[in-house]
Amino acid sequence: MYDFAYHHPKTLAEALAALKDKPEARPVSGGMTLIPTLKMRLSKPSDLVDLNGIKELTGIKVEGNGVTIGGMTRHADVASSADVKKTIPALAQLAALIGDPAVRNRGTIGGSVANADPAADYPAAVVALDATITTTEGKHKADDFFKGLFETALKDGELITAVSFPKPEKAGYEKFRNPASRYAMVGVFVAKTAGGVRVAVTGAGPSVFRVKAMEDALSKNFSSDAIKDIKIPADGLNSDIHGSAEYRAHLVTVMARRAVDQANK
Amino acid sequence: MEIKGEYRIEAPREKVFAALNDQDILKACIPGCESLEKLSDTEMTAKVRLRIGPVSAAFGGKVTLSDIDPPNGYKISGEGQGGVAGFAKGGAVVRLTEDGGVTILAYDVDAQVGGKIAQVGARLITGTAKKLADQFFGKFAEKVGAPPPTPVEAA
Ligand SMILES: Cc1cc2nc3c(=O)[nH]c(=O)nc-3n(C[C@H](O)[C@H](O)[C@H](O)COP(=O)(O)OP(=O)(O)OC[C@H]3O[C@@H](n4cnc5c(N)ncnc54)[C@H](O)[C@@H]3O)c2cc1C
Repeated sequence: MYDFAYHHPKTLAEALAALKDKPEARPVSGGMTLIPTLKMRLSKPSDLVDLNGIKELTGIKVEGNGVTIGGMTRHADVASSADVKKTIPALAQLAALIGDPAVRNRGTIGGSVANADPAADYPAAVVALDATITTTEGKHKADDFFKGLFETALKDGELITAVSFPKPEKAGYEKFRNPASRYAMVGVFVAKTAGGVRVAVTGAGPSVFRVKAMEDALSKNFSSDAIKDIKIPADGLNSDIHGSAEYRAHLVTVMARRAVDQANK
Repeated sequence: MEIKGEYRIEAPREKVFAALNDQDILKACIPGCESLEKLSDTEMTAKVRLRIGPVSAAFGGKVTLSDIDPPNGYKISGEGQGGVAGFAKGGAVVRLTEDGGVTILAYDVDAQVGGKIAQVGARLITGTAKKLADQFFGKFAEKVGAPPPTPVEAA
């Protein structure tokens, strides 16, 4: 690691002050992605602002018609939350499928959503459930938040404070895991929401995306058979040692059908 | 790994080819380029800072133009050392064809990375290379293809 100044703020205001006007300062939450990058010297921040001591960033609240999860909330706490299991069981299941126990006990929803890894699970839930991302600068709609490979609408020094998920009528998530990392080769979140059916795919492309053809078919008939003949083009999908773009395109339909079956259970 | 793409540029082929050899335009289009210095007509040194997700690395290296065939195209190659981060090396074969008054720019990228950046980033290299190529050629098409000012009607 290179040298950096370490800050351990107790409040959001202190964290923002520590980040202000320092383009090379970085916040750290679970550190599951950032710390290995530092250890490998692939990043050289001037300052690390540790969000772990900020109480206002943790916790899960059932509010109005959904649940709001604080940015520093660990994957393990979402997976085991009675409130999440009751309101949006598919979201608790998604959190339980992330990585291994060490990653689930450290990694946070804010860190995952801010990082926008193309194979991360949460972005699929955020987009399919039409969640709202609350930051220190305001609120972002899910559809406008993920901009591309590791790219979000966040500005330098802007922190995710919470993610609010409206309760869907039904929802299901299925992923084909990479057996080593457990990241999604392809993950599909399907939700029947107040605003219609939404299908969001992660792992397959540079960033999470929706599949309109499946949404239309499922709006008419919410059954896995309704989408069995819908194939998505392999053009522009990820291709690496784990699988070709064609393979990933095929997996999208398979995972989407399983997610619909899961939602209908 | 193979990355191909095509851009339609609203400019004649000679103008596009000249821009491909204009070091100020290259500097403005290379993603994260902090400096570009001319060594000769075909060789430059560059400093590039890339920030992709949690990774942020500064590369110093060389940019070379070869297989120059005006106005049909050339090959642009870059080779950089990012210190402990590793090395990156890549090139794009660029072909220009005429289509009426506009130019079709087709590129074919080939990239290799090594060192630590390859170890941690293996699953993300193609995606990253594609993103960088799109940023470069997208910006280039925008800069060179800027529509000419609308002609003023004679009163
Ligand atoms: C072995 C392994 C397996 C994994 N498997 C999976 C998997 O199967 N599925 C999956 O989805 N993920 C997986 N992950 C990723 C993990 O779940 C975390 O989501 C991820 O590491 C980011 O969360 P974090 O809290 O650790 O963030 P950090 O590493 O602390 O930060 C990540 C980035 O986000 C920024 N950041 C952090 N918090 C905030 C905030 N509140 N606001 C703004 N920016 C912020 C940081 O500056 C940094 O750039 C895996 C990780 C590992 C190491």
